[in-house]
This record gives sequence, structure tokens and C-alpha cells, in this order.
Amino acid sequence: MSSMFFLHRIKWLGLLLLANAGMILYLSLGEIKPTAIWDWTDIAGEGGSALLVLLWTALMLKSRPAGRVTNLLFVGLACLFLSLWMDTLDEFVALPEAWVWDHWLESAPMPIGFVLLTIGIYHWHREQLAINAQMINRERNFREHRHFDKVTPLADAGYLRSQLAQALPRSAAAQEPLSMLTIDLDNFNRINARYGHQEGDRVLQLVCQLLLMSLRRHDLLCRLAGDRFAVLLPNTLEEQAQTIAREISQSIAHLACRSVQQGERIVLSATVVAIMARQDDAESLLQRSNLAMAHAKQALQLKRA
Amino acid sequence: MTDWFDADTRVISAGYQPACLIDLALCRGLDSHRLMRGSGLFYEDLLLPDAVISARQYLKLVDNARQLLNADDSSFLLGQRLLPGHFGPCSNLLLHADSGLQALQDLVQFRTILCPLLSPRLVLDEHHAYLYWVDAVGLGRNRLFLFEACMTAVTALLRTLMGVTLPWEYRLAWNEPRHLEQYWVHLGERLRFDAPVTCMRLPRELLVTAPTSASPMLARIARQQAELALAAMPGQGTLSEVVFEALYRQIRKRVGLEQLAEQLGMSPATFKRRLQRDGAGFQELLDRAHTQLAMELYQGRGYSHEQVAATLQVSDRTNFRRLLKRLTGKSPDSLRVWLES
Repeated sequence: MSSMFFLHRIKWLGLLLLANAGMILYLSLGEIKPTAIWDWTDIAGEGGSALLVLLWTALMLKSRPAGRVTNLLFVGLACLFLSLWMDTLDEFVALPEAWVWDHWLESAPMPIGFVLLTIGIYHWHREQLAINAQMINRERNFREHRHFDKVTPLADAGYLRSQLAQALPRSAAAQEPLSMLTIDLDNFNRINARYGHQEGDRVLQLVCQLLLMSLRRHDLLCRLAGDRFAVLLPNTLEEQAQTIAREISQSIAHLACRSVQQGERIVLSATVVAIMARQDDAESLLQRSNLAMAHAKQALQLKRA
Repeated sequence: MTDWFDADTRVISAGYQPACLIDLALCRGLDSHRLMRGSGLFYEDLLLPDAVISARQYLKLVDNARQLLNADDSSFLLGQRLLPGHFGPCSNLLLHADSGLQALQDLVQFRTILCPLLSPRLVLDEHHAYLYWVDAVGLGRNRLFLFEACMTAVTALLRTLMGVTLPWEYRLAWNEPRHLEQYWVHLGERLRFDAPVTCMRLPRELLVTAPTSASPMLARIARQQAELALAAMPGQGTLSEVVFEALYRQIRKRVGLEQLAEQLGMSPATFKRRLQRDGAGFQELLDRAHTQLAMELYQGRGYSHEQVAATLQVSDRTNFRRLLKRLTGKSPDSLRVWLES
């Protein structure tokens, strides 16, 4: 919260000064109305709207970095707020009949605010399209922020489940194959033990970027748990999936990853298994891929021993 | 009677498990002040070399971290850091154990230092080594989190010592969770949920091989130092642990609250109040002791219902049925089916 106020402190200060100036202007020109003739419905309606617009402004500023779009949205919302604010003050202060400026102060900022807000929202939309393009391979036509992973810029197993639940019936109906890859780093616990958990997290982030680069446009990459990732491959036969699995495994083995501290080479290898959905639901497909991974890991352990 | 300490006695070195937890939380960008909130602790104080905190304070830290981290993998990540850990001679002892079994036995012997909130209990039968868990204080809503962390810790410890992933089987007394993948990755695929009691087991023959790093001489030195550290503790466990142990050992005598209070040298009212303050109830502990013994007899020795009933001093079938249903949530027949499947 504090960083938000700091980043946008000039904007807040300006809004506060303007709102205060308006209030002082009204108080200096008019007289306070007696409580008896206050119109409570108007006060609640206009005052409440002003407060809600202020809340929107706060939430908008808190969720956005500074920039052109943020400024447009802010000025638009600020105009709306000031207009409603002056309207509310009007309920408490009786202004002399001769003074006509109050109508201007109450009504003029409103349309200006709406126009600025509309321009702001249009640019926000353009910005969102640009962000969506960056999010390709990480989400498929559906966003749920509660499923964002904390370490990698990927969605978690819950998101994969929901996407599988949608994709499985669809591919069955269209008679298209659907495959899934599971990728698990070998001996990842040793990386954590040797270089520390922070380095381990960094390796996961690197691997995540590498995986994103090796996928096709319509594939979906999620982080299942720990050092295990899953890729949903729509319209892909098992053989194609095996090929992608081999390629991914090779590219991870060739990733020249170095530790931050000493720049030491961290040798990575991964076990990648590919399975194709056969009358599966999301749960059984995940279960099957987990068993396939367990067998692959066991074989690896036996080979080493 | 044995000495004990309660949830407010400062026995946990802040530099041990609490430091692992704080490190994890700070790595994830949490604010140290929010992490300490409500625990009566200050971050700067915890950095002092001889800082010690109570079980209740550590539990509060766990509670805060769990809520602030708000991720399915926090318990498992904590578990990865806990064992063998950096807990002085006790950790050295684990690292130099001459077999996996020895490491588990040491873990149990030095549990008050190595595993302060949830203490491990090792039971061996002909084929398997079982690790059960006893709550040291009332764990409340952090119980599942701590179970996940402790089981991950033991799994990681044995993997570190033996250099291979061992085929642990986990029986877990809760429903299959939403974040099942975390269990697959951090524990393994041999999982059974809705178990009567939580435990993990491993074929005994896998525990006899010597870890690569073991050194008998260093192990001896570490053991002497660890024993000194253990002797410096104010008791052999928390009140709940001591009561659980006493009830477990005297199940055949059917001791009641009054008798046990007398054995511990307190009035029944004080005894009850102290237990309550640690978040435990007498009946709850008695039930756990019954469940523990029953499951050991069923799983380890293959006892029949009649034999178990006789050991638990329950005379007729109906009462035994009712007791078992209350303890494990399963009738005798469905329990048998569960155990054999």
C-alpha cells in the first residue's frame, strides 16, 4: 500500500488540493444550509458515488505501474470525482443565486472525465492485447489469477486441471488426438542443497523460459509442483509428443546454466514423459502421467546404480 | 515420573527450525514484521545467537507464514529445508548415522530438538519400519501443514543420506487434497488417503545399507554432544507428549484422568487446565493412544479384532465396534478391508 502512495504521490496530492480548493471556494462564497433542509437522499446518492469513484481511483492506481494509460485513467476518474464532489458540497452550502459558476464546476468536469476515461480504457485495451501476446503458451483463452504460480510466470496445476477438463471432451468430440508431456528435473534437490533454494528458484525460472521457447503456439505450459512441469499438446499424436519430449530433454541437457554467485556451470537433466489421452478425464490423465513419470524415474535410478 | 515442559516454555532455538521457516518466508518476499505479528517476537531478537522461543510462538510463526505465503507448496518447501538441517550436533549425528534405520532412531531419540511440534515415533515389525507422529501441542489448523512438512523432511533426509529416492508408502488420515501434485513430486506416488492414522512406512531391508558419508568417529562425538544438548532440555517432551506416552504404555490398566494427574503430581483440575492451555484434551489424547496401539497391532502384528479388543480392554463386540468407528471412522470389517487392500 505504502509503495502505491509513494509512486503516485503527486497525483494524490493534486486531487486533494483541487477537492480542498473547491470546498474553500464554496464555503467562502456561500452559507452553510441549516440541517433541517439537508436532502439526505441526494447526499447519500452523490456523496456515495463520489466515494466509490475515489475507491476505483485507488484500486486502479494500486494495480498499475505509472505511465500514459495510467495517467489518462487517473485524470478521467479524477474529473468524475471532482464533479460528484462539488455536487455533494452543493447539498451543504447555499450559494448566492447570482453566482452561476457552480453549475460549471458541477457539470463541466463530468463529460471531460468520461471522454478521458474512454480514451484511457481504449489504450488499456491495446495494452492488454500486447500483454496477451506475451502470455501465449501460458494461458489459453481464460484467465484466473488465483491460479498464478508464485515462482515462475506460469499457471499452476489447478489451471491445468480446468483446461484439461475443457480440452478433453472437445478433442474427443472433434476426434482429435490430445497428448500431455510431464517434465521433471533430475536430482533437483541436489541443486537446492548445493547452491541454495534461491538459486534453485532461478533454475526453475530459466527452465520455464526455455520450455516456453520450445513450444508451439497452441500448447499450454503449467507448473505442476516443485520441479515438475506439464505441457498440454492439443491435436498431437503420441509419436509427435515423443519427439517433442526428446527435443525438450536434449535442450535442457544443453542449457548452459550458471550460478549467480560463482558462475559455476549447473548441469541439468530432465526426465520427460509423453502420454496420449485415451478415454481419460483430467484426473485419470494426470494420474497416468504421474505413474509414467514414476516408472521413468525408477528406470533412471536403476540405470545409475 | 518424567519431566515435561509446556507450550510456553522457551525450548526451541530460534536459529533452528524457526530460522528455516523465516528464511523460506523472506525468500518469497514476505515482510518480516507481518510474519512476526502476534507471536510476541522481533526479527532482530531472533538473530541473537542464544535466542530461544516457545512451541506456541513457533506455531504462531508457522500459522502466519502459512497464511501469508498462501501457496500449496509452502509446507513441502519448508520440509525440504528441515532435515538434516543445521541444528548443531543433532544434525551432525543424522549425517553420520551408519544406516538409515540408525538415522530414524536418532531422529526419534532427539525429537524434541529435531522435530519440535510433531514428534516422530518409530515402530518396527518383521518387514517394515513405520513412522507415526504425535502432536507435541494442539496444532489446530496448522496440523495438515506440519504433517506435510515433517513427512517431506524425513523423506528428504533419507534421500540425502542414501543417495537414492526410497519407496516410502504414505498413509494419510485426510481426504485427497486439491494439490495432489505436490504430494507426487515431494513425497512420491505411493499415497493412500482417508487412512485411520497417519504414518509412513518402508521395507526394513532398504534401511540397513550404510550411507556414503557416514563416519563412526564423528558420529560418536556428535552423539555425546547431542546427548548433552538433550539433557539440557527442561523435560522429555511437552505435557501432551508425556501424557500420550503414559496413556499408551498403560492402556491395559485403563488409567483415568485422576490417576494420571496423581502420577504427574498435580490436582485433576490443574492437570485439565494445563492440558487445555496446550490445546489438548484428555479424551483426545486417550483416543489417540488407543488408535495408535490398535493400528500398530493391526498393521504390524496382524492381530484379529478379538485380540485387539482384548488388548484395549473392551469386552463386548458392540462396544469395540463403536470405539473403532469413533477412533478411525471405519467399522471393524471395513477397516480390515482397508488394511488388506
